[in-house]
Amino acid sequence: MIEDDIYRASSQYRLWSYTESSLQSLRATTNAVASERVRAALRRSRETHQSTASSAGTPQSETSAENKIKDANDIECLTPEEELVLVRYYCEKTLELGETYKPPMPTMVRATAIQYLRRFYLTNSPMTYHPKSIMACALFVATKTDNYYMSLRQFAEGIPGETTAEDVIAPEFLLMQGLRFTFDVRHPFRGLEGGVMELQAIAEGQGQPAPHLPHETAEDLQQGLLSIAPPPVPSSSMADRIARAHTKTRELLKSAAQMTDAYFLYTPSQIWLSAFLLADRPLAEFLLDVKLGGPVTATIPPPEIDDNGLVNPLYEIRSKLHRVLSECSALLQSYTPLSSDPVQMKNLKRIAKKLYHCQNPEKVNISAARKRESARPSPAIQSDAGPVTSESESERLAKKRKLEQEEAARQSDDVFGGELVTQRTKH
Amino acid sequence: MALSPFGSRSPSMTVHSPNTAIRLRATAAQNSVAGSTAAVAKPMPDGDRELTEQLNIEVRERYVKDKKVGEGTYAVVYVGHLQDDPSSRVAIKKIKVNAEYKDGLAMDAVREVKYLQELKHPNVITLHDVFSSKDQNLSLVLEFLPGGDLEMLIKDSDIHYGVADIKAWMGMLARGVWWCHENFVLHRDIKPNNLLIASDGEVKLADFGLARSFADPLFNMTHQVITRWYRPPELLYGARQYSGAVDVWSMGMVFAELLLRVPFVAGSTDLDQITKICEAFGTPTEDNWPGVSKLPYYIPTDKAQVVPLQGRDFFLRQFPTAGPVGADLLMSMCALDPRKRSTAVQCLRHNWWTMDPRPTQNQDLPRKSGGTQKMGDDLTRRGGELDEGMFKNAARQLDFGMK
Amino acid sequence: MAPDAASRRDEDEVCPVCKSSRYLNPDMRFLINPECYHKMCESCVDRIFSSGPANCPVAGCRKTLRKNRFRKQTFEDIGVEREVDIRRRVMHMQYSQINRITSIRLNRREEEFDSKRAYDDFLEQREDIIGNLVSRIDVAKTEAQLHKYATENMQSIRANQAIEAEEASSFQARISLEQEEARLRRQAAREEYETERREIQAGREDFLSKLASGSSTDAAAIAREGHKVLLKKSSARRSEEERIRQKQAALRSSELKRGSNLSTADFAGADTGLVKGLRKIKTPEPEKPYDPFMGYVPDKRDYYTLQSYYPSQYLDPIRNDARMLAGGYNLQDYYSRTLLEAFAGLSCFIGEEVSQRDAARVTKPAATEGTALAAESGQGV
Repeated sequence: MIEDDIYRASSQYRLWSYTESSLQSLRATTNAVASERVRAALRRSRETHQSTASSAGTPQSETSAENKIKDANDIECLTPEEELVLVRYYCEKTLELGETYKPPMPTMVRATAIQYLRRFYLTNSPMTYHPKSIMACALFVATKTDNYYMSLRQFAEGIPGETTAEDVIAPEFLLMQGLRFTFDVRHPFRGLEGGVMELQAIAEGQGQPAPHLPHETAEDLQQGLLSIAPPPVPSSSMADRIARAHTKTRELLKSAAQMTDAYFLYTPSQIWLSAFLLADRPLAEFLLDVKLGGPVTATIPPPEIDDNGLVNPLYEIRSKLHRVLSECSALLQSYTPLSSDPVQMKNLKRIAKKLYHCQNPEKVNISAARKRESARPSPAIQSDAGPVTSESESERLAKKRKLEQEEAARQSDDVFGGELVTQRTKH
Repeated sequence: MALSPFGSRSPSMTVHSPNTAIRLRATAAQNSVAGSTAAVAKPMPDGDRELTEQLNIEVRERYVKDKKVGEGTYAVVYVGHLQDDPSSRVAIKKIKVNAEYKDGLAMDAVREVKYLQELKHPNVITLHDVFSSKDQNLSLVLEFLPGGDLEMLIKDSDIHYGVADIKAWMGMLARGVWWCHENFVLHRDIKPNNLLIASDGEVKLADFGLARSFADPLFNMTHQVITRWYRPPELLYGARQYSGAVDVWSMGMVFAELLLRVPFVAGSTDLDQITKICEAFGTPTEDNWPGVSKLPYYIPTDKAQVVPLQGRDFFLRQFPTAGPVGADLLMSMCALDPRKRSTAVQCLRHNWWTMDPRPTQNQDLPRKSGGTQKMGDDLTRRGGELDEGMFKNAARQLDFGMK
Repeated sequence: MAPDAASRRDEDEVCPVCKSSRYLNPDMRFLINPECYHKMCESCVDRIFSSGPANCPVAGCRKTLRKNRFRKQTFEDIGVEREVDIRRRVMHMQYSQINRITSIRLNRREEEFDSKRAYDDFLEQREDIIGNLVSRIDVAKTEAQLHKYATENMQSIRANQAIEAEEASSFQARISLEQEEARLRRQAAREEYETERREIQAGREDFLSKLASGSSTDAAAIAREGHKVLLKKSSARRSEEERIRQKQAALRSSELKRGSNLSTADFAGADTGLVKGLRKIKTPEPEKPYDPFMGYVPDKRDYYTLQSYYPSQYLDPIRNDARMLAGGYNLQDYYSRTLLEAFAGLSCFIGEEVSQRDAARVTKPAATEGTALAAESGQGV
C-alpha cells in the first residue's frame, strides 16, 4: 500500500523499529557494556584513593582501600529490566513536567521528549547517565524539534527546583548522539484525528468508500455505522459515541502508548487503532471493515492460499492486522502508572538504591565534563583525592560513607521526585 | 500495491539501525567482561565507550575528509570520501559550536538534520550520515554537488541557456518542492543559490535551515522567513498561518529570474519589497485577496495609487521567452492571494512541461566549473542569509515599463 | 585517394581554351565541370562564367556550365573522374531547393531490406543504372527513371514544406498543435495507467464481491479464479500497451516529419517503385514522454479517499477565520496529513519486516546510506 511505503521512508521505521527479541538483545548489550564500564570506573576511583592513601602513609587506609578493590569486582549492577523500570519512571516524570509547565507543553512535545528518552536509553544505560539529568534536556530538545521553541533561559526558569540552564543543556549533545541525530518522531495523535474525522463524515452520511472497496455508497457506510454493536458505555448519539471514543483513545495515546515499547514495535496507525479498539471495539472494527473489508472474526481461519501461493491481499492484511492490533492493545492495556501502584513503587525504590551504588562516577557531572570538552573526563570523586589536608584520610572516608548513607536514605524516601539534577556532585 | 518510484533508496538499503554494530560489539563486550580481572587498570578500547559512542565512531570512521572548500561563521565544509572507496565524493559540513549561542545546537542545524533525515528524493540534497566529532561538533555528510548552483549560471553572462534548459531546471525544482510539501515540510528559503547542481546536472534543493513541518491549525509560524526577494506578500504582511504557497511564490521568483537573468522583484527593505510587488503584480485589495486587510502588517493603499491586478498580457509581455503557456504557469505561481496561487502539484500538472520544447536532458544542460567552491560557500551560509554582494545593482537594472 | 592530378607540375601543360602554358604561368590551375568534364584553366573559367552560365568553350560541346560547379580534377583519368561522379550522384542525388540541399539516397544498406535477395536485386539494379550512365546506354531512359524517383520524393518534400509554411503562418496555431500533441501523449499515458489500474481494481472488486456473497470457505477458490482472470487479462493488457506504444510512436514520427526532411525522404523512398523490398522503416523507440512526477502518481492512496470537507467542530472556527485563510492556511493540507497519518504504515508488520531486514543484513553487513553511497560511487558518481 502506498501509505505504508511512505511510512517506511521515515527514520522511525528505518532506525527505531525493532522486533521484541532485537529490542531485548540491544538492551542486554547496552547493559553489559555499561556494567563493565561502571566496574572499571569504580576500580579506577578506588585505586586513586589507594594511591593517595599510600602517599599519606596511613597503613589503616591501605587495608581499607584493598577491601574496596575486592568490593569493586562484585559490584552489583542494574539488570536490563531494572533499567527499563527506571527509564519508565522518568518518562512518567517527563510527562508530568510537561503538564505542570506553565503554560503546559503541547502533547506532541511531551510525547516527543518521552520517545527521545526511550530511544536514548536503548544504547545508553541509566548507570552511566542518570535519567534525572537527561529528562529536562529531552524536553528542551523536543521544544526545539517540535516547533515549540523558547529560549533556554526561559525554559529553565519554568522547571521546578534548582535546575539551571547549564544543567538542562549540558547533556544535549550526548542525547542527540544517542538519538543518532534523528529528531523526527511519528506520533499516533494526528492519525487519530484523521480516523475520527472519517468516522464523523460517515456518521453524517458524507463518507467516501476506500479505494479498494469502491462499491460502498455514503448511505451504505452510514447505515453500516449505525448498525454496529452498542458501545461499552451507552451514549446519546453516534457523534457522542465517536467523541467519547476519541477522548478515551487520546488518553491512552498520551500515557500507555508513551510508557511502553509500542513505538518501537508498531507503527503509529497501528498504535492509535489498537488504543481505539480498547476504547470502543465495535467502532474500531467498523473502521477496519470499511478500509479492508471484513469482518474477520476472532477465530480467523489460517490464511487461504491458492495454488499459486497467492492470497487476497486485503484478506491477508486484515487477518494479520487483527493479530498485530490485538498484541498492541494488550501491550497498551498492560500499562499502569508506576506512581499509582505501591508494589511497583517499592520495586522502584529498591532499584534506585541499587543504582546509587553502581552509578558510573566518571559520568555523573555532565556539565563539568562538557566544560572540559575533549579532555578526558576526570573522575568526579577525584576531587576527594586532592592534596592531603590535616584531616586524616580515614576520617574523611568515614565521613564520606556517612554522607553517602544519609543521601541514600534521603533519596529512597523521596525517590527522585521534585529534584531533577543529581546531588551527588556536591560531595 | 504500488511502490514509490524512488525505490533505489529502499528502506532496507538505508537502514541505519544499530543492530549490526550491536552484534559485533556484543561479543567484544562479553570478552571484556570475561577478561576484566586481567585488565584492571587499563581500560579496554571498546569497553571504554558506551554503545551509543561506538555507533557514532563507526559512522565517523566511514568517511575521510580531503580538503576544506568553504568556511563561514556557521560551518566549515570539506570534500571527503568514503573510507573504503577513494573514488567516492561527499561533502562534509561541520557545524561550528557557537560559543555565544547558549541554547545548545542552533535551530538551523536542528531543522536541517530533522528534515533531511526524512526526505529522500532525487531533487533534494541527500544526507548520507550525521556524526559528532570528539570536540562535540556536528558533522553532516551530504551529497557532493560540484555543479555549483543556479545563481552562478544566471549571473554568468558567458553561459547561454534557453527555454528548454529553464524548463529542465524548473521541473527539477518543482519536483523537489512538491516532494517536501507531499511530506508536509515547508522549505522557506528557496532561491537560486540554494538550488545546487550535481555532477550529472540534476538540481537539488539544499539548505533546510529554515524548514518546518506544516498543516496543523492554530500553531503560529514565523513570518520572518525566506530571503526578501523571494518572499511572498502574505509573509511581508506578517501572516502567522500559511501553507506551501509561500514556497511556490519563491519558485515563481526563481522562474522569473531564470528568464530575465536578474531578480525580478528586488526590494531594498521589506517595505520596499511589498511596494515593488504591488508595482509589478498589482495592489492587494479585499477584492482580489479577501481578508488581506486583516493580516497584521497590511498597509492600505491610497485609492489613486492602486495598481490593477496584472493579467496574462503582462506576463506574456514581460516574459516573452517563456511563451504563452510558460507565462501562464509563471502567472499561476505569482498570484498575490495564496489561495489562488497554484500548489506544487498543480504546477507540475501544468501543460508547459509536456509541450515543446522538451526539457533539456540533464547531460546537455549548460554547466560551469568552479562548482565545488560554490557548494562550499553555499553550504556554509546560514539559512535566510543573503549574499550582500550579489546583484548589487539589480534594482536599478529592472524596469517594469510601467509606473 | 589518387594523387591530385591537377597539382602535378607539367611544364608543357597547355589550357585547351586560351592555349597559355604553365611554363609562362607557373601558378596556372586547371578545373573541370562534371557536366562535360572538359578541362580549362582557372582564368578562363573566371573570364567566361563570371557573368553567368555559358556554353562550354570547347568546340562541339554545347553544355551549359555554371561557374560554381567547376572544381579541381581528382583522378588523372577523366573517365574515372566521371564514373566516380556518376556513382556519387546516383548514391546521393542532390537537389537544390530554396536554401536547402536535399539528398536522396541510393546507397542503401543491407539492413534496410527485408531479405538478402531483395538487397542483391537492389545492388544489381543500381549497378545497371550506373553502368548505363557511364557507358551512355539508354541514358534518357535511365535518367528518366532517376528523375521519376526524385520527383516522387520531391512531392513528399513539398508536401512537408507546405505543412511547415502553414504552421509558421500562425504561431498561435502552432502552439495549439503542440498542446494537442502533448495532450494526446498525456492521454495515452493516462489511458495506459487507467487501464492497468481499472483491471487490477476490477479483479479485486470482482473477487471481493464474490467473497462477500459466498461463504468464507469458498475464498480460496474465488481467489484462484480471480487470479487466473487477472493473468489472462494481463496478456491482453500487454497487447493494449503495445497499441499505445505504437500510437505514441506515430505521434513521435509526426513530430520527426516536421523536424527533418531527410528522414521523410527516406520514408517516402520506401514506397517508390524504383527500390523494391525495403523494410518498413522502424521509428526508434520514442523517448518516454516527460513525466513531471517521475512515475509517482500524486494523491493516489490505498486506504482512503481524501474528501474536500470533513465535519469537525474543532475545525469550524478555522473555516471562518479570515486572517488564517488570507495567510494561505489551507485546511485541505490538514485533512491530507491527518488522513495519511491515520493509515500510513497500517500494514507495515514490523515484527516480520524488521526480522527480514536484520536477516538480510547478516549477509550484507552495514547496509546503511553510506553503503548505498559506496554502491553508487562504484558506478561513477
